[in-house]
Amino acid sequence: MRVPSIPAADFLPLVPAIILLVGACVLLMTEVFLRSPSRGYQAPLSLFFTGLAGAVSLSSAFEPARPVFQGFAAQDPFSSAVTLVVCVALGLAVLTSSGFLRSRNAERGEFYALMLFAASGMSLLAMSTELITLFINIEVLSVGTYALTSYLRRGTRPAEAGFKYFILGAFSSAILLYGAALLYGATGSTKLSEMAVVLPAALAAQPALVYAGALLVAGGFAFKVAAVPFHMWTPDVYEGAPTPVTALMSAGVKAAAFAAMIRVFLVLGKGMDPSVPLALFSGLAYLTMIVGNLLALPQRNVKRMLAYSSIGHAGYLLVGVAALFVTAEAPAGDGFRFFGATPLLAPGLSEVAARADALKGLLFYLLAYTVTTVGSFGVLAALERSEDEPKGTAWDLDRFAGLAQRRPGWAFAMAVFMLSLGGVPPTVGFMGKLLIFRSAVDTGLVGLAVVGVLTSAAAIYYYLRVVVAMYMRPAPEDERIPVTLSWGTELALALSALAVVVLGILPGTVTDWLQQASTLWLGQ
Amino acid sequence: MSFLDTHLLSFIVFLPLVFAGVLAMLPREEHGELRVFSLIAMLTGAALGVYAYLRFDPAGPEFQLLYRARWFDEAGISYHVGVDGIAVSLLMLTAFLGPLVVLASWSFVTERVKEFHIALLVLQTMMLGAVVSLDLLLFYVFFEGMLIPMYLLVGVWGSEDRQMAATKFFVYTLGGSLLMLIALLGVYFIAMPAGSRTFDYATVYNAFLSANRELGACRGDPAACATLSPLAVTLRTWGPWMFGACVLAYAIKVPMFPVHTWLPDAHVQAPVAGSIILAGVMLKMGTFGFWRFAFPLFPAATQEFRVALAAISVVGIVYGALMCLAQRDVKKLIAYSSVSHLGFCMLGMLALTVEGATGSAYQMLNHGVSTGALFLLFGFLYERRHTRLMSDYGGIARVMPLFTAAFLVATFSSIAVPPTNGFVGEFLVLLGTFKSDLSLVLAVLASTGVILGAAYMLWMVQKVFFGQVTHGENQGLKDLGGREVLTALPFVALVLVMGLRPQPFLERLEPSARRLVARANVARPGAASPDAELLISALPLPPAGGTVAKSPEAPPRLPLRPARLATPPSSPSGAPEGVRVAPASP
Repeated sequence: MRVPSIPAADFLPLVPAIILLVGACVLLMTEVFLRSPSRGYQAPLSLFFTGLAGAVSLSSAFEPARPVFQGFAAQDPFSSAVTLVVCVALGLAVLTSSGFLRSRNAERGEFYALMLFAASGMSLLAMSTELITLFINIEVLSVGTYALTSYLRRGTRPAEAGFKYFILGAFSSAILLYGAALLYGATGSTKLSEMAVVLPAALAAQPALVYAGALLVAGGFAFKVAAVPFHMWTPDVYEGAPTPVTALMSAGVKAAAFAAMIRVFLVLGKGMDPSVPLALFSGLAYLTMIVGNLLALPQRNVKRMLAYSSIGHAGYLLVGVAALFVTAEAPAGDGFRFFGATPLLAPGLSEVAARADALKGLLFYLLAYTVTTVGSFGVLAALERSEDEPKGTAWDLDRFAGLAQRRPGWAFAMAVFMLSLGGVPPTVGFMGKLLIFRSAVDTGLVGLAVVGVLTSAAAIYYYLRVVVAMYMRPAPEDERIPVTLSWGTELALALSALAVVVLGILPGTVTDWLQQASTLWLGQ
Repeated sequence: MSFLDTHLLSFIVFLPLVFAGVLAMLPREEHGELRVFSLIAMLTGAALGVYAYLRFDPAGPEFQLLYRARWFDEAGISYHVGVDGIAVSLLMLTAFLGPLVVLASWSFVTERVKEFHIALLVLQTMMLGAVVSLDLLLFYVFFEGMLIPMYLLVGVWGSEDRQMAATKFFVYTLGGSLLMLIALLGVYFIAMPAGSRTFDYATVYNAFLSANRELGACRGDPAACATLSPLAVTLRTWGPWMFGACVLAYAIKVPMFPVHTWLPDAHVQAPVAGSIILAGVMLKMGTFGFWRFAFPLFPAATQEFRVALAAISVVGIVYGALMCLAQRDVKKLIAYSSVSHLGFCMLGMLALTVEGATGSAYQMLNHGVSTGALFLLFGFLYERRHTRLMSDYGGIARVMPLFTAAFLVATFSSIAVPPTNGFVGEFLVLLGTFKSDLSLVLAVLASTGVILGAAYMLWMVQKVFFGQVTHGENQGLKDLGGREVLTALPFVALVLVMGLRPQPFLERLEPSARRLVARANVARPGAASPDAELLISALPLPPAGGTVAKSPEAPPRLPLRPARLATPPSSPSGAPEGVRVAPASP
């Protein structure tokens, strides 16, 4: 048996993930060797490793794409950008964790270690270019998040949420694996690069096998990104999980799963009729945008509302994904055109440019959504009192009543996050939506853009309800002001609010950077 | 051309915001300091606003005091500001009302004073910004940004039913502005090809112009419809929808019948400052939206729906007046009178005659002054008696003569008695309507609005001010104090100045009105003006990292010097004169 030789340089792209893993191990070690009763050092320590990983991935963002480990993974600007988004989500989640855990007497090294393990899985997932590797990394991140979901195991909700997440997650992993197996059966390879070569022939020979495999894989990913009709677990799990974990799940897991989905389907899409992935993702996007936003409307529980809103945002991201699959010579009358007279691809726009635009929009939206949603979960984490959790009132809208008087800073930050989630300028949420919808229009997916704009308009209603409660309703008299005064929470809120506003007003630098990264990756 | 000139508009717009930041750092107990600080901010803004008004050369090019900086190239958004005649007039009005609003709330607002003044200052920035924006998205940001501070003003500092009123206001206007956003995005997407898309108003307008001409030809001669350019085809299909979305958005803001129902509630519940700003400036954002965006960008749809809109305006005029007759609540009466007056503004604009449009613009200013004054003065009375019902007053003239005199001046202005400003505006509007091709019935019906207006206002004045003092509580009311006189005096002065010497104001509005009419008539067969008069010459996008600016070369003129008659705009084609391109700073 020939042992493949792996050059040492192949390990370089793994450095961010390795840093996260080392950090996780160090944190576990501290539990064993440091017996100090205070664990205040753990959050800064995790933050240090997160920052280091983020910095490394930023520094390698413009290196040209290259396959590593004999095509099992790839180092490219895309994976760097996704890792960066994951690190931002992780860093902010860690910041909010310390105060949250301390108020529950649950600050332990395992918690941070699990977060870092999960994040390393996310980072590796964004790099995977082989179906087995991809599956293993999905499992790494999933097992981490399963455990984190039921970390506060004394309550009933975490146990329920963890169990639900585990059962459904395992089910979806099985679906993904089954799809991968079918694809392997059809193409004889699990490496995406080899599959791309064989796919046309395989499609001609066994079209049913390939399409079934692709659909199953898409279903598995749709579960991870919480797209309708695979969204059922989201509200319960998001509600039951410790709030910082929810933040990490809604931003980091989503980013990584989107990355893997894009990677797999960009390859599969090349072989098959382009209208198939287009129809698949457009359909998912329509459903997800409409259902997610409609279900969020009646929620009075803010955490559940944010969970449904995260489904809605997955829908907007899917619009961007659908725009990736438009080709200049797509068949006419595919049912997704709206302006009868305009060509599918806007004139003067090459296919690569249109795709790079869509990818840039996607990445920017991921970043925008990350800073906004992690921030708003941070406010929730700061506000909730553990004694309310069994009663189920910990995240009720009433908890926000009069927050503007009691905590003007938090209220302002929350208002900024809500406006950004609603897509009101000049916040980053608006810029993200503008980029996504613009690439949808450029690629002829006007119907998606119109539905997107309409659903975001409807969404403003439920986001504003929080703002109304904070600024208009009087504070309850007997309310005990939560005193989880933690520098971490305050810093996380300040940083994410600042990012939302600054990126909303001056998005230029970041979009230029993402434009370069996307063009570099797609243009090769 | 000085540094001040190029940055004048930005100074005016962002000065209140900067002061709001300063205020946020002051201790919240120092009410006096907070008030003085925001008064200083507003006074400085008013001084700069008046300076900008004088600096504006009525005979000069259309847009002046221009400034443009790169902002977000990626999406075609730039920071582009400039004023034409109507914008500079509204800018001046807004800046002028600022200090008066602070003075009016001096003793009215005693709770959460700090937040109140921050909201006022932020609101001021948003309103000023909306007026000077020459970028669709920038306009939208300011237009939407107005909503939140106003919502807070009504919802936090309003009277008993404030939450209902604030929510109603918010839902209506937010619904409207989201529709407008969709329309503006539609304009953005169809005006320019992918890659060079822009939200820049001038570019978008110029891109639409020839397509709009084609649509005009198509309206006159069906044969021309067969050879439309692609842009014209798109505009023909989607133009009416985008126009409709814009119309709905602005109609809610104006407010036009039948989407006016938020206004009486908001006015009644709002604190004095909120009422003055709402009536004085915010309603004008609706009419200004029609003027700046809806009519010029979609002339074909404008021609199509003009008569219907004019009919709705007339219904608003008469309906508003009739509703006034039925009111027992003074604030509600003034609120409904706004519906009626804004109906005149809309009618004048829709007449599409220079007289009508000029009158309409003048009426926008007048309404700000007269209705602002009415709300302000009634606020003083409300502060003393805490009731809005007419039946609780009577014989106020005997106990508060000074107050009564001021209120009467405002009333005369509101019902357009010469020599007040209202007379000039309504006369021009009706003149323009009679001269236009709109049905005579509309003009006659609108005229009855004037008569009804006199009826309800004088009836109210009679009940409140004249006769015996019927309620004992009213016997001991104090007349206006020094601060109150100081606040009311500018209004009274302006009513008389604008009534007796309207030329300095009109000479700025008239060229704007002329252009509006010409632009809306692009799609009227046989009435179109040459391109040179229509194309908007604004600033090009500056080089990376730099800015461009342009301001009038002439020194500011005093307003009361003999006015030159406005000349038609000089040719804006080719490179605009006096454009200075500043290099990128290192």
